Amino acid sequence: MMFAQIQRALPTPEVTWSALAPQLILMVGGVLMLTVVSLFKKQPPKGVSAAYAVIVAAAALISTIPLWHRVLNPKEGPTGLVSNAIGLDGFSLFITGLLCIAVILVALVADGYLVREGIEGPELFVLLLLSASGGVVMVSANDLIVMFIGLEILSISAYVMAAMHARRLSSQEAGIKYFVLGAFASAFLLYGIAMIYGATGSTNLGDIQTFLSQNVLLHDGLLVTGLALMLVGFGFKIGAVPFHQWTPDVYQGAPSPVTAFMASAVKAAAFAGMIRVFSVTFGTYVLDWRPAVFALATLSLLAGSILAVVQTNVKRMLAYSSISHAGFILVGVHAASKGTSAALFYLAAYTFMVIGSFAVVTMVGRTGDGRHSLDDYKGLGRSRPALALAFAVLLLAQAGAPFTGGFFAKFGVIAAAASSHNWSLAIIAMLTAAISAFLYLRIIVFMYFEDTGDASAGVHGPSVRIPRAASFAIGIAVVATLALGIIPQPFIQLAKDAVPQLSSSTP
Amino acid sequence: MLTWMILVPAIGAVVIALLPRHRPDLHKLAAVLFSSVGGAIALYMLSQFHTRTPGFQFVQNSSWIPSLGIGWHLGVDGLSLFLLALSGLLFPLAIIGVTPHEDTKPYYSWMLLLMAGSMGVFVALDLVVFFLFFEIVLIPMYFLIGLWGHGNRIYAATKFFIYTMFGSALMLVGIVATAYLHQSASGGRLTFDLVRIATDQSIGTAAARWIFLSFALAFSVKVPLFPLHTWLPDAHTEAPTAGSVILAGVMLKLGTYGFLRFGLYLFPEASKTFAPVLLTLGTIGIVYGAVCATMQRDLKRLVAYSSVAHLGFIVIGTFSLTVQGIEGGVLQMVNHGISTPALFLLVGMIYERRHTRRIDELSGLQKVAPVMAGVFTLVMLASIGLPGLNGFPGEFLALIGTFRSARWWGVVAASGVILAALYLLWAYQRVFHGEPTEANRSFRDITFAEGLVMAPLLVLIVFCGLYPKPMLDRIEPSAKALVVHVAKYANDVDARDVELPPVAAAESGK
Amino acid sequence: MLGQLSSASDSLRQYLTVAIFIGLGLLLAGVFLGLSFLVRPSRDQPQKYLTYESGVDPVGTGWSQSQVRYYIFALLFVMFDVEAVFIFPWATQVEAYGLFGLVEMGVFVGILLLGLVYAWRKGVLRWV
Repeated sequence: MMFAQIQRALPTPEVTWSALAPQLILMVGGVLMLTVVSLFKKQPPKGVSAAYAVIVAAAALISTIPLWHRVLNPKEGPTGLVSNAIGLDGFSLFITGLLCIAVILVALVADGYLVREGIEGPELFVLLLLSASGGVVMVSANDLIVMFIGLEILSISAYVMAAMHARRLSSQEAGIKYFVLGAFASAFLLYGIAMIYGATGSTNLGDIQTFLSQNVLLHDGLLVTGLALMLVGFGFKIGAVPFHQWTPDVYQGAPSPVTAFMASAVKAAAFAGMIRVFSVTFGTYVLDWRPAVFALATLSLLAGSILAVVQTNVKRMLAYSSISHAGFILVGVHAASKGTSAALFYLAAYTFMVIGSFAVVTMVGRTGDGRHSLDDYKGLGRSRPALALAFAVLLLAQAGAPFTGGFFAKFGVIAAAASSHNWSLAIIAMLTAAISAFLYLRIIVFMYFEDTGDASAGVHGPSVRIPRAASFAIGIAVVATLALGIIPQPFIQLAKDAVPQLSSSTP
Repeated sequence: MLTWMILVPAIGAVVIALLPRHRPDLHKLAAVLFSSVGGAIALYMLSQFHTRTPGFQFVQNSSWIPSLGIGWHLGVDGLSLFLLALSGLLFPLAIIGVTPHEDTKPYYSWMLLLMAGSMGVFVALDLVVFFLFFEIVLIPMYFLIGLWGHGNRIYAATKFFIYTMFGSALMLVGIVATAYLHQSASGGRLTFDLVRIATDQSIGTAAARWIFLSFALAFSVKVPLFPLHTWLPDAHTEAPTAGSVILAGVMLKLGTYGFLRFGLYLFPEASKTFAPVLLTLGTIGIVYGAVCATMQRDLKRLVAYSSVAHLGFIVIGTFSLTVQGIEGGVLQMVNHGISTPALFLLVGMIYERRHTRRIDELSGLQKVAPVMAGVFTLVMLASIGLPGLNGFPGEFLALIGTFRSARWWGVVAASGVILAALYLLWAYQRVFHGEPTEANRSFRDITFAEGLVMAPLLVLIVFCGLYPKPMLDRIEPSAKALVVHVAKYANDVDARDVELPPVAAAESGK
Repeated sequence: MLGQLSSASDSLRQYLTVAIFIGLGLLLAGVFLGLSFLVRPSRDQPQKYLTYESGVDPVGTGWSQSQVRYYIFALLFVMFDVEAVFIFPWATQVEAYGLFGLVEMGVFVGILLLGLVYAWRKGVLRWV
């Protein structure tokens, strides 16, 4: 029987390698660096590995530009690659670009960090590139299994990166905690995928959408359960309440540049996956998953801002504030197709703001990455005025101050909520924005309004050193934040063009 | 040109931020330069303004964010013209007149940013642009109070910021709701343009009322209207002198201007519905503010509470929905913005010399500083509303307007005039009359430089009090057009005797 | 709905067998242990509570530290074992997959080999 089958060769999938360029560049870049590290005993010279990571990520970013033009070209449009397991559309390219930018900025910050902490070896950059490549796979996935693979590559690299600081116990704890809870969440996600396969007969997102548009399920318990489980899995990854318990501890314990990456890139990729699955594929089931997302959004907004106010550790404060930002983006997700571009713009603005903020936190953490209480920021306005001003701008942007990207981000999601006539969510979102403004003001108060008597002592504790690469990264973040606030039109148009499309194998 | 008026101070703020830290003279020079240029543009517009036209002039309408329907729409009319001129005058004066002791660079930077923001609020004709400028003035004010203020400044600054931000949080939802409801009601593209939405008036009554409430909340905090006024005494007292000057002169007017432009013009029916509520709150504010002011022991806090009282007149004038009332309100906005900053400057001078603001520690200053006493008398009488000085026309017109449509509120409010005399004269008597104690004996009189700063304000106090006609000529057409607009959409608004000038009649016909 | 019930109980009936089996097992074990508990004498002696170590006297404490090298080798074993599991199906149909499949498997094995080389270079494979 086997001999008869040998005659017939299996059809191989057609692969448009050029369209896979971003993934390939990032993956090959990471693997190449790992090879070089394995073969040569000597450590690479200072800054080379960071520069390499930046160049690879920049190359991946540049490779998205011709692909973007291809997608927007009406003659070609979005396509499916690798027999429709991976989709190339504006949505995936937008998030791919964001991930590459995140890698560039984090690599710039991590360079000085590794030198300061005495962590040898470029493993962090390898993992950064591999994690980003996993994220790219996840956001361009047109198949649930491929999405899961991308998620796992993204997450496992992140787990290891979180535990990278060997000398700090909290880093190890963060890594273990993230790993165990993340494995749980991935299990939930996989179980959900299995149920959806059972209900619809395929894991290809395009096929599922075709199936659901052509058939009406009478007993959709299996499908809805699958959706619920997937929501849990995604909810963990984005740090939505009540799946947020890991966020403060992991963000606090992980090395600060890694936290910047986790808060921006991992969240962006997870949100992208969520939007693709829920808003696009299961758009017909919107009445089923929308109340759940409403609950997630409301809880995240409230818990994130209220719990953040009572913190005394700046890293934890920023962790809780990123939970409330996740709540805002969920408001955009809640508006289904009307809120996708708002959510994308929010992710873009948020990436710059949060990486910049955590970069400043990295600087102020000083050697040992341990000085993160509010007292350690006292007097920063006097001793490092530029850094303090940059941090103030980024914090106020996170609060939604006018003429910063943060304002138009919040405005976009509120407008999305309004266009679907969901006033309660919009009101809750704005009220929690006002609550979290208090939180950001507190940090600013400590930086600038030092208490009486300590005016001559300067900054509390040893001085803050700012390596050149990190200041460059912070500068980019601040400029981008202000640019998104003063001339947002090109970026809003970009987000509007990045509409997710699915390709199905059945015409 | 309006964009330049806003941009010049903003550019100035950036320029000062780039100057070296250890040259305070350069900072002040740059600040004076940029603020004067901005002020000059405002005054130039004042001179070029066509009287007897109710519409918007110097209009600039460029596209900014077409994807969201937000346009860069700016324009001036009679209601906002003098507020612009006031800002253009007060900011340079505050910058010239008061020098901070330390950290001059960020101080002047924030002042110029504040100037840009305030001017932007008065000329914005797009809902989102208005909101952006309305919110951005919070940040410089927060830093000015918190870093250069006195005593309990961090508490005052934080309270001010959080209070105002909560107020405006709901306003953003209201703005977005307005645009989307307007789009679904009238079809067509999404737009946030104020003029278009106000002329279309296609939002349903119930929705309009809710949205008006959200706007009213934000403005009530800003004005401030009783009972949301509790941030004001702290903010005013702990702010540095220039901060108080700007806060009282310009920033409080953001709220009252907002009521006019985004309350009456945008939601005329809702304004009529809620007019009794706001009239009541305004009247309470007049009396309550006056009573609280009487009981104060701190001179600056007394002036702060007097602001609450004076702004109550503006609110009742606005919500009387009559031409006289609105005219009086606008006039009072401007005149209050001249006399109260002058008072704050004087209190600042007293604090500079005696390092105390407590009334019981000051006495007999008239004997040692007669010129200052004279100046203080003039300004104080203006604040009381003595006929012949600039406080009178505004209050009088506002009261007439209120009498016409809301008689009993007017009666109660009129008593506030007497109360104003009570607390100010009593304070003056305690501080300036009598015998100076030891500590007060070495009180320097007003210097030439300080007098130079006060002079423009004093001149305006007398001139606008004796001859307010030039101002009224420019305010009246817009006020009339507004009342006609409100009468068109609300019931029981008496606009029968409002005759628009012929040019305007043709304009309002289209 | 009745049809649903009967079909449900068909599959459930198979589980009933399993449940009965488990129940009998538990019952049997319980009976034996219970009987011996009732019948046997109970004489406490301290030597009876010592840790069992194949009849000889126990040496050292009950807990001891494992060497980390066992963990490393176990980890590497698991990884390459799973790799072998993935190679098996490919190997059965290698001609059908042709050149494409060969290259693909080459990449797969290559990346895992790279991991091994990395581990080797980092000194993880040394026994001492």
